[in-house]
This record gives sequence, C-alpha cells and structure tokens, in this order.
Amino acid sequence: MDTELFTWHTQSDTLNDFKVGLTLAQNSGAKSLLVLTCNQNNYPEKELSSLLSDCPLKLFGGIYPMLTLQDSLLKQGALIIGFKDNFDVTLFSQLNHVNNEDCLEKLITSTLEQKYNFSGHDNFLIFYDALIGNMEGFVDCLFECLDHGINIAGGGAGSLDFIQRPCIFTNQGIHSNAVLLVTLPRKLNTSVAHGWSTFQGPFLVTETQGQTVKSLDYRPAYEVYCQTIESTSEHKFNNAEFSDIAKYFPLGIEDINNNLIVRDPILAHDNNLQCVGNIPINSMVYLLEGNTETLIYATEQAAFTAFPELSQTTISTTMVFDCLSRVLFLEDEFEKELNVIAKHCPSPALFGVISLGEIANSQSGAIRLLNKSIVISSW
Amino acid sequence: MNKALFIISLQHELAMAIGNKLDLKAMLKVFLKVCFNRLDLTSAHIHIYCDQSGMPSKVIPLESTSYQHLLSIPKNKRGQAWSQNLTLKSFVEQLDNDQKNISFQCENGQYLFGFIIPNHGLLTFETHYALGEEVQKALQPVLQKLATSCYTSLVHDSLVKEAHSRQLIEEKVAFQAQHDGLTGLFNRQHINHLLGSAIEDAHINRKIGSVLFIDLNSFKPINDSMGHAVGDKILLTLSNRLHSLSSEYIDIGRFGSDEFIILLKNLSIDYQETVNQLIEQINQLLTIPFVIDANSYKLTCSIGYAFFPLQSSTVNNLIKFSDIAMYEAKRAKSQCGRKYQAAMSEKIKNRLDYVDDMKQGLEQDDFKLFYQAQFNHYGDIIGAEALLRWQHPVHGMESPAVYIPIAEESDLILAIGQWVLEQACRDIKKLEKFTLPNSFNKVSINISAKQLMQADFQEKILNAIKQNDIPAERLGLELTENLLVENIEDSIKLIASLKEKSIECAIDDFGTGYSSLTYLKRIPASVLKIDRSFVANIAQCKESAAIASMIISLGKTLKMDILAEGVETLEEFNSLKDLGCYHYQGFYFSTPLPFDEFTQLLSLKTNNE
Repeated sequence: MDTELFTWHTQSDTLNDFKVGLTLAQNSGAKSLLVLTCNQNNYPEKELSSLLSDCPLKLFGGIYPMLTLQDSLLKQGALIIGFKDNFDVTLFSQLNHVNNEDCLEKLITSTLEQKYNFSGHDNFLIFYDALIGNMEGFVDCLFECLDHGINIAGGGAGSLDFIQRPCIFTNQGIHSNAVLLVTLPRKLNTSVAHGWSTFQGPFLVTETQGQTVKSLDYRPAYEVYCQTIESTSEHKFNNAEFSDIAKYFPLGIEDINNNLIVRDPILAHDNNLQCVGNIPINSMVYLLEGNTETLIYATEQAAFTAFPELSQTTISTTMVFDCLSRVLFLEDEFEKELNVIAKHCPSPALFGVISLGEIANSQSGAIRLLNKSIVISSW
Repeated sequence: MNKALFIISLQHELAMAIGNKLDLKAMLKVFLKVCFNRLDLTSAHIHIYCDQSGMPSKVIPLESTSYQHLLSIPKNKRGQAWSQNLTLKSFVEQLDNDQKNISFQCENGQYLFGFIIPNHGLLTFETHYALGEEVQKALQPVLQKLATSCYTSLVHDSLVKEAHSRQLIEEKVAFQAQHDGLTGLFNRQHINHLLGSAIEDAHINRKIGSVLFIDLNSFKPINDSMGHAVGDKILLTLSNRLHSLSSEYIDIGRFGSDEFIILLKNLSIDYQETVNQLIEQINQLLTIPFVIDANSYKLTCSIGYAFFPLQSSTVNNLIKFSDIAMYEAKRAKSQCGRKYQAAMSEKIKNRLDYVDDMKQGLEQDDFKLFYQAQFNHYGDIIGAEALLRWQHPVHGMESPAVYIPIAEESDLILAIGQWVLEQACRDIKKLEKFTLPNSFNKVSINISAKQLMQADFQEKILNAIKQNDIPAERLGLELTENLLVENIEDSIKLIASLKEKSIECAIDDFGTGYSSLTYLKRIPASVLKIDRSFVANIAQCKESAAIASMIISLGKTLKMDILAEGVETLEEFNSLKDLGCYHYQGFYFSTPLPFDEFTQLLSLKTNNE
C-alpha cells in the first residue's frame, strides 16, 4: 500500500547537496516529488528555480521555516519524498492582484473548471505563501466552490522573518502570492490539536479590520489585552518584547460548539492587535493559556485520533503541519511533540513542516485557517 | 452567563451582517457566510419566493407563488448542484408547507434545520450537531430583519431596473433624434448641427472644412421597378460602406432618399487634395456591386462640394452650395465631383428667371403650336407633328432645345405638356371642320418623362379628346425610346391601353438610345421614327444607311410603320425610298408651319386630289 517509494533528506544548506538529492529522486522511479526546504538554506533563488524547472517529474512543495522528519527537527536542509503516483497540481497565482471577493470567486471558479472541478477527487494537500493578504477569504471561497465533503490539510510557507519571498514550488519555478492545491490518490485523514484553553474572557470584538483587532469591549484592544494579562500574571509588557509575552496568550474565537479557533497576536501597533487570521466583528474572543504539558497532551490526543489502531496497516504516509509558534513556545521541549507523534505513527514515512498558519477541515466539514495548531494528516 | 453572552453576540453579529449589500443575492450571501462560520455549519441554503415570471417577489407570497433555490454554501455536494439534491428538496418542500421552523436528522447523522424568512423565503442549515433551541429562537428577530432587508433589496433592484430601462429609452430617443431610422447614419438635423459646430471650430482653429453632397444616379428606377424594400437594402449597404470612411474628422449623414452628406473637418492647406482623395474613395466604394436578393446592382453617384469658411460660413448656404455643385456634376455626368462656383448659382438664378419667363409666356399665350406635315412617297400628307414654339419677349423666337430641358427640370413641363395636349386637340377640332386629304391620319404630340409618370396621364389624354369632341385616332403620341425604357413595364401597359382606345404611339428618335430589342418587341407602338442623325447625308454615309436599313427591317418585322425625320434633300428622300422607308418628315417636304399656314397646305393638297 505504500504510495511513496523514495525519501531523501539533508541537513546541508548548500544547493549542490540539494541537487544531489533531486537527481537521486529523479532516478528513483518516482512520478511525483514533494520537495520541502528550510528557509535558512543558502539556496540562490535563481538557481533553485531553474533546478525545479528542469525537473522532468511532477514537483510540488515549498520553503518552510523548518522541517520535521520522524522525530527530528531540521532547521536547515531539505526533504524530498518521491511518490509512485502522478499527482495533479493546481496553482492559483498572482493572488495579490485579486482585490475583491467577486474576482477571487471568478479566479477560483475558472481554475477549477479547467480541472473539471476535480470530479472524483476529494482529498487535497494545500501549500501556500503565508503572507498572502487574504488567505482566509481564499480558503472560504475555495470551500464554497470546491465541494461539500472534501478533505484537506496544509500549511503556510515562508520565512521566519515574515518578509515575503517566493516560497511555493512547482515545475515552473518558485512562486510568491500563490496557493498550490495537490490532489491525493487516497483518502486523507486529519487530526487537529492546539492544547490551548480559555484563561480570561469572553470579550466582545467591537471593532476589527480583517486581521487587526481594534477594540475589545469597546476599549482599545491592545490596552485590554495587556491589562488583562498584567492583572492576572507576572508578565509586564513594559519590560519585554510584545511577542515574548504574547506567545503565551493567544486569542481564541469560541464557536457554537465550544471549540476554540486560535488566533495568534503577532504584533501590537497603535493600540491594535495584529493577528494571523481574521477575527470577525461582534464575535466573542477569549484570552487563552497553555503550557508544555497541555500542548503536548493535545498533540498526543490528536495522534491517537489520527492513527486508530484498526487502520494502522493501511496508513503509509503521514505529513505533519506544525505551527512555528509551537516551536518557539515549546523551545527545547518541542522534540517531545515530535516524539509523541512518532510513537503512535504507524507510517513508514513521517515528515512535516513547521508552518506559518495551518489548514484543515473543521468538524463541520468547512475548511479553516488555524494558528498555533498542529495538523496531522495521513493517507 | 457566557452562553447568554454568546447568543447575544451571535444575534448581534448575524444582524450586523444583514443589509451590507444592495443586491439581493449578494446581501444574502454575506449573511449566509456569517451564519456558516459562526454556527459551524456543514452547508447553508436559501430558497426565495418568486413571482410567475420567476423573479424574486416583493409582495407577500400568494398561494400560487413558488420558491426557487437561490444560493448555497458550498455550491455543490459531490459534484452536484444543491438545487438537485433530493434530501434538501423534500426538506424545503416540507418547510414551505408547514410555514414554521422544522428540523430533521438525516441517515448519516447530520441535521437539517429549516427557518422561514417572513414573506420572502426559506433558510436551511445543515449541521453535524443539534442546534440548540435557544439558538433557534435567537434567530427569529434576525430573520425578521433579514426579511426587511430582502424587501429593501428587491425595491432597490426594481428601481435600478427602472432607472436602467429609462436610461435605455433616453439613449434610444437621443439616438433617434440624431440618426436616420433606416441607415443609422446621422440625420439631416444632426448633420446641420454638426456642420454648425464644425464651422465654429474652423473659425477658432483656423482650419478648413468641406461639405460633400452625394446623390445616387439612376436610383429611382431601381426603387420603382424592384420595390422600396430592395432600394432600402441598397441604401443600407451603401451607408455601411460610407460609414467605413467616418473618423474623428469625418461625419457621415443621410440627407434624404438617396442623398448623403459627408462633413470633412480639420482640413489643412491641401484641402482640395483631401477632398479629391475622399471622392475617389467614395467612387471606389461604389465599384463593388450591390448584391440584393441574388440580384446585382451597379450604381454611380454625383458629388458636389463646398468649403467652409472659404465659400460660406452658414449651414444653409454650404448645404445649398454643395447641392448645386452636385447637380452640376450630375448634369455633366462627372464622377470626379464638382466644387461649387459662384457662377453655378448665377446659372441657377438665370434658369429660375427663365422658368418665370416661360410661366408668363404660357399665361400670355406666347407659346404656339407649329405643325410639320408628314408625307408618304407619293407626296400625300399623312399627318403632322405638333411642335412647340415660343416667342420670347426679349430673345425673340426661342429654340426648343434651350427651353424644353429647362422646363423638364422644373414641373413647368407638365403645364406646358398639358397646354400642348389641349391646344393640339383644339386644333384637331378645327381641322375636322375642313375637308382633309384622304391620306391624312393624325396629329402627333411629344410627351415628356414627367408627363408619362403622372398617375392620371391617360385620363388627361382622354379628357382632352372628350372635351374637344374629336376622334381619338386623330391624336398620336410620340415618346422617346429612353423615356419608355426607364419605366418599361408601366410604359407597355399604358401604350397598350391607349392603343385599345385608338390612340397610337410612335417611338421618337429611334436609334439614339440603347433600348433592348426584347423590350422593343413588347412595346405595342405603331410607328418607329428614324432619328434625323441617320437621315442626314444618308446617300453619302454608308453607316447611316446601314442603320436606317436595319431600323426599316426591324419595323417591318415588328409590323410597325417607319417614318424618317429630318429629310432635307431629294437625295435623302430617294435613298430612304430605296431602302424601303415610305413615310417622311422634314424641310424637303415642309417646314413646321403655324396652324393657319398648315391648314392652307392641307387645303392645297385636298384640292389637288
């Protein structure tokens, strides 16, 4: 049942070493290649792009802050997985030029029509440039246009420094402002976890603009956020970088079934909180808290769900999309997270990316953009 | 407490999502999306009440009103549109019947919840969990607000449609006010307006402009013979061709019937050259045949033009000048166009004065009929041709070659023709009182094109005969072959009808036109008159003799009498006689004579018998 027949990785940051791996992959008998590289590599963009363009096999993937292989974290280097199936790859590019919902819908509809709306395909991986302006709008629209009942998993590519650079791989080279949709030959199972729980709140979101929360309970959002944390913990914002404290206290939108969608406040400016992902006006948000134990416990629960004993023999490939904020939060203990997954994972191939935002289906079936979460996907 | 706050915030968020867009579908989509995300739905659907034409209904639904699927999130289920989904269909049907909130658990464990959007439609949610009753209740005021927003959107939509259709009508009216209904080119009023503006611009920018007046040659016969539908198609085709010439500085308009105006603006010093090139282009456009209903038509045109502000700065003058120049081009049969010259107006003025003189002459009885006797080879008078003579008060005796074409250009020819008819009939009446030679048959009068085109022409002839109480066979009509061929079918009918009433027709100036022998065979005329040009010097000129011989043979074949005109010498007489022509008219026999002298000639001949 193996769908992949080639796995190669390197921790070297040179393009020459990567080239060796790519050549081996091309001669492995694989028909499609998943190519993942770390953003800290010293890969000249132009040369990398021409290497990808020259590859005769179907190729997809991207540049991520870090990679994972089994229970190891790769901070530099590359990972190439060769599949024996010819995967279908669809690129949605130049999304920075798509200014409104109607244009977005037209772009997605026309692209899907070219692919006969993926008739007969329900399982997808999604790789995207994490710095696309309206990824959540894209995801909503994609779900609207694709179909009811699809399974999807993915994660945002890009750099640790949050500067936009080309980061999505196809046979045409490296793309920015792009989303890559890859059809999978087998059913995709996903399991999602974050390990965060409510700490303070709720707060009514009284003013927002996309991913920026301007006011909570009719007061400046940043002020409410800082005062709440300072009054209930030892953290003081005056003495520290915002992100050093904020990584412990994400925001959470509670849905009707008490599920929390985590939103990571990454920046504070003009008394506003800048998050990764939209926060709807008039929604209710909580301040969340977590620790190493809760996060890893949640990951282990997700692994249990992802790998039910009965299906263990049928799962051949597992790809993990793990949020960069979890690496920053767990620091040295991050490997524990990888260990609990590897412990329960029956797949011969277990690998993943450290992503900037994650994508998975919610329990209802809709596609959601997640923060500070881990998505375990297997097929 | 948190649950209550959640529901209030949910209510608030959903309510705030209503009415953000004016278009009904867009407005409902925004609402549905918020529902979808906040209520963690699997799918969401809106069906809307529609009127009999299938459009969303503004008014409270009647029993006969039906609902239609409007939108779903996501759009499809397993590749199939939700509007085709049987489970959803039957659920919505039940919801519509019950007209109250309902729910249903599907076989796969999913739930369907249905809500009424008061007076406007049905809302369905699919969930993977049971939607709490308190949430369902919380939706009621939201749905009421949604209904109000639906109404607002529909009212807005109908206002937009109304404004749009009004705009379309206004645009249509504005277009019609400026354009010709048949061809779509600018109409006369708008061309006048454009010309006015162009004249102003020419003054301001120190530029030159030109007005070209185009008139199709011989278009009327096509319209008359093939019908206006064919004529209109030709005009439309030509208009499309002319329109290809239009640009920022060239406006094309239809002035009326087969007349077109081209307005040229912003010309430089080489204006004459530009106009020449344009005329060449127009002629080029006409070289392509007009194929209408499998028939091919070849047309030419006459073009006159004038320049502004060089020749005038008033709209009326420029149109008039280019029209005058066009007539000059037509008269000269020129394809190169004619530029307006002041002398052309002078000529026209003189003509108008001349026409006035003719009118006056007619009133003051200055016109006379002279009669030129027609003879057989024995020297007997067999008839006479009535010839019009005018004693001009200043110029003296005027040549018919001068005044007849001028009279033909105006309607005066009709009055003159009528006078000739009546006078000839009066004279015939007088002749009847004499003892005429046995050989004398009739007096013939010449008929012009305009007379022939009169619908009551035959009636006028018969009336004149009746009023003067003369035998119809004493009057003959002479028509030129060109005149007959221009409207051949009507001419044949008319001549046949007159023949039935004993009025014979002669074909005048035969041999000078280009009539088809097929036509000639069908024209029931009695006499062919050999044109004087073939008679002059017939003894010396072999070609003339050959033509005359051919006409004589033709006449015999068609059983027509042959009469030679312009016989001036014994030699000509003998030659014609030798060729087999036995009827003659010309100075050799007699000059045209005033009536009294003609009667004397007749008396002389009678006495000799």
